[in-house]
Amino acid sequence: MAFSLQHHTHVSLRGNRVVRRRDFLKASAACGLAASALSWTDVLAARADELRDRGMACILLWMSGGPSQFETFSPKPGHANGGETKAIDTSVSGIQIAENLPHMAKVANELAIIRSMTSKEGNHQRATYLLHHGYLPMASVKHPTLGANVADQIGSAASELPSFVQIGGRLPNSGGGGLLGVDYDPLIIQSASKPPQNTTPSSEATRFARRMQLLESMQGDFAAAGGAQVVADQLKVAKRATDMIHSPRMEVFDIEREPEQVRESYGSGEFAAGCLMARRLVEQGVTFVEVHARGWDTHQDNFAAVRNLCGNVDQPSARLIADLKERGMLEKTLVIWMGEFGRTPQINPRGGRDHFPKAFNVALAGGGVRGGQVIGATNDAGTEVTDRPVLIPDLFRSVYHTLGIDADYENMSGGGRPIKIVDGGEVVEELFS
Amino acid sequence: MPRPFTTFATQLAIGFALLASLAPSTHAGPRQEPKAVAKQVDALLAAELFKSQTELAPACDDATFLRRVWLDLVGDIPTPEHVIAFTLDPSADKRERAVRELLADPQYGLNWARYWRDVIFYRRIEDRALIASNALEADLSGKLNKNVPWDEIAAAFVTATGDVRDNGSTAIIMAQEGRTEETTAEVSRIFLGMQIQCAQCHDHPYDRWKREQFHELAAFFPRIGVRPVRTATSRSFQVVASDRQFKFAKADDGNRPMPEHFMPDLLDPSAPGTQMQPKFFLTTAKLPYGTVDSQRREMLAKYLTRNEWFAVAMVNRLWSEMVGRGFYEPVDDVGPDRTAVAPETLEILAKGFRDADYDVKWLFETIAATEAYQRQSRPRGGAEDESPFAANVPQPLRADQLYNAILSALDVPEAEPKRPGRGGGGLGGQQRDPRTQFNQTFGFDPSEPRESISGSIPQSLAMMNSAQVAGSLRANRGVLSGLVAEIKNNDELVAELYLRTLSREPTEEELTRAKTYFREVGNRKQAVEDFAWALVNSAEFRHRR
Repeated sequence: MAFSLQHHTHVSLRGNRVVRRRDFLKASAACGLAASALSWTDVLAARADELRDRGMACILLWMSGGPSQFETFSPKPGHANGGETKAIDTSVSGIQIAENLPHMAKVANELAIIRSMTSKEGNHQRATYLLHHGYLPMASVKHPTLGANVADQIGSAASELPSFVQIGGRLPNSGGGGLLGVDYDPLIIQSASKPPQNTTPSSEATRFARRMQLLESMQGDFAAAGGAQVVADQLKVAKRATDMIHSPRMEVFDIEREPEQVRESYGSGEFAAGCLMARRLVEQGVTFVEVHARGWDTHQDNFAAVRNLCGNVDQPSARLIADLKERGMLEKTLVIWMGEFGRTPQINPRGGRDHFPKAFNVALAGGGVRGGQVIGATNDAGTEVTDRPVLIPDLFRSVYHTLGIDADYENMSGGGRPIKIVDGGEVVEELFS
Repeated sequence: MPRPFTTFATQLAIGFALLASLAPSTHAGPRQEPKAVAKQVDALLAAELFKSQTELAPACDDATFLRRVWLDLVGDIPTPEHVIAFTLDPSADKRERAVRELLADPQYGLNWARYWRDVIFYRRIEDRALIASNALEADLSGKLNKNVPWDEIAAAFVTATGDVRDNGSTAIIMAQEGRTEETTAEVSRIFLGMQIQCAQCHDHPYDRWKREQFHELAAFFPRIGVRPVRTATSRSFQVVASDRQFKFAKADDGNRPMPEHFMPDLLDPSAPGTQMQPKFFLTTAKLPYGTVDSQRREMLAKYLTRNEWFAVAMVNRLWSEMVGRGFYEPVDDVGPDRTAVAPETLEILAKGFRDADYDVKWLFETIAATEAYQRQSRPRGGAEDESPFAANVPQPLRADQLYNAILSALDVPEAEPKRPGRGGGGLGGQQRDPRTQFNQTFGFDPSEPRESISGSIPQSLAMMNSAQVAGSLRANRGVLSGLVAEIKNNDELVAELYLRTLSREPTEEELTRAKTYFREVGNRKQAVEDFAWALVNSAEFRHRR
């Protein structure tokens, strides 16, 4: 796009939406864009600015491997399938969750717990893709992942920081910019306790500036030989990168700068550090942050394993929500707590639970979602959704709706084929009423 | 579902009937000389496209040609010695000799194996597929270096079975998890350049293909699947084929072998759908229900490779890589309902490729011999799009080319991968060797229009600050320390840096600027480091002109 749709540098009509005029004509009919007085880019720019001004953000707490619903937000203490897991009261009368989440219980008044999530995809790789993109993988279309779409639609244009950050290393099948291009790939932070890769300048600041000047001055020959646009584009990206690493805002990646008291309030461990960094990032204008917690694939020894896993994520997740609230940021920040599917009601011979996409749970907080409620239900055995089934496209549509993004917006795939951000589904209205 | 039951005799009878039904071979004429075909191509292009006012770019100079052809054929940059020797060589046929020498270099096979690795794996539907990438690289580079004909290579991909870490030809099926419809779509896209999968859900609005035709093509692949293999020492996957209901340890998740393919019912996704007969959408070729897998896929490989579009797709793709734009664009969107910019020229090349029995080196040699290839570069957009092929086009380097260029420019030996050759990374596809990590930052899907590839902040950061690059740019060790000690004259030192990175000598203007810079900085070592850093970070270094 000629204008900066987000602060990532955009160069000419790129990012694979409309590369050539012929595609544009094919596409504009599909987008229902009449040749009006406003140019196509004007229409988009106007729309985009309006959205960006709202300052919405999203934090995805991703429980990789498929967290057991019985041991988290949907305990079944009265049934054999519930196993040894007890239910505890929360800050909302009438809502109980599993004993493994005492901190989350205290912030239940902010939580909307969906207990009736249902899908058919029980394979880790495909389900991880599905719960990140809202689509199943297809060889012919590179869907942008949730974070990339959000960054594209409402990323902040003025920030030196990237709009989309993933904390906790690369997660297979969690996707990236896809057809939106590399500008929308996440900046990946291996660990919240280390600075992001290659952000330490290779020489001290004055020399770095001198080198950049040299670089600018020496590219005349290639520019004259037809590479002018390429040179300009590359310098633009290099400047962005340079601005970013020399920006005082890079401190945002250093959680050591938080008062000790604050750091302690999040608890200890990688996930706690990631949650704290996520809050710092959103505070500084980053639009989408994903924090990974691994190890939820509890095929054996489910009860001890989940107790342990919850020990790592319970306090940080709850503290993140409370912290956002105290800082007046929760209203504009949607927090999503989920994994790729749930786990079987049946406890297997190894004391584990296997993959179960048919009925699982997701918890949401903030961003205008009404807390203190449970949506949907399963039967006593936890084997069937008995009330208000929520499908994956419904969930995605609701998330985009919360963030003020039109889920019917069509991205253009390389072949000029329009791909909606979400295909079908309906907003879960109860979340907002 | 009825179990298909066919006796050996029926299968045999079917087999004979099939062989008789094959279209006559498309190889019509004798093999032609690359140079002769290149001449025809240039003459036809002029007739088809160029008008009297078309401004043809002049032929590029020797240094530009050498860097270009090195990057295109072997994916690396020439050393200063190569550049000097080549520019000083007075013989008239030095360009064609250089092309032939490069095609005989083992790096040729590796470079293009990596290109196809990216073509295949950028469309993977799951990251674990990457464990097949080392086997693919090893097998395919061997085949390309031996110059195995393209139809044989394609047939091996279509008919592959076995462990994905042993048989690189399983890559396309593995990348699509052995799923019938996805595998079908990729085979059509890669080998015919046609995206028939758009008809998967609905009849394609811009194409003649009907939904049935896609699913009839998919009916060649129902009996394959991909399943995990676990031994005490390793985890892998194998592509399996079965003519029975296959027993999988786990529940069906859509990628197990089935006797026949069913087209889903759009109105009722839970219904079994319509059973489809294997039919090839470009001809009338078909197979009966019940045909065994081996025959289904072998016959499909024949239908594919004997079809006129098979050569067209390959010619279009390689021409696009070499000359910077395709006859059809995107490169994998070809077919009877698309318009080629110079259809007669394309057909001359495709015919030559068929007559040479799909000899891939012949095709490279022919394209490299054309004036169209050897012209100076101009960017896409504007004039170039008004008159295609009036110039070559600057191309951003693929990750492997850029990585090689950095290693060569800075004299850094490549770190040995921990397990050379076979095997692959972890099951998440995470290989930790430096090249793979570099590729994760700099890689792109080579089937995408090249002008849509833009640089990213992480790429910029890696070039400017990574230990790999920045660490090799110290004047107190490595290549720079040697140059600083050996070359006393600053002009010569700067010229050497230009030769090492951009494979050309600096212009007068560039030398003057360098002089000024050295004077201003005052510290020779620092100035050299800065200069090397800036050259490696320049747009020219990251492109081929």
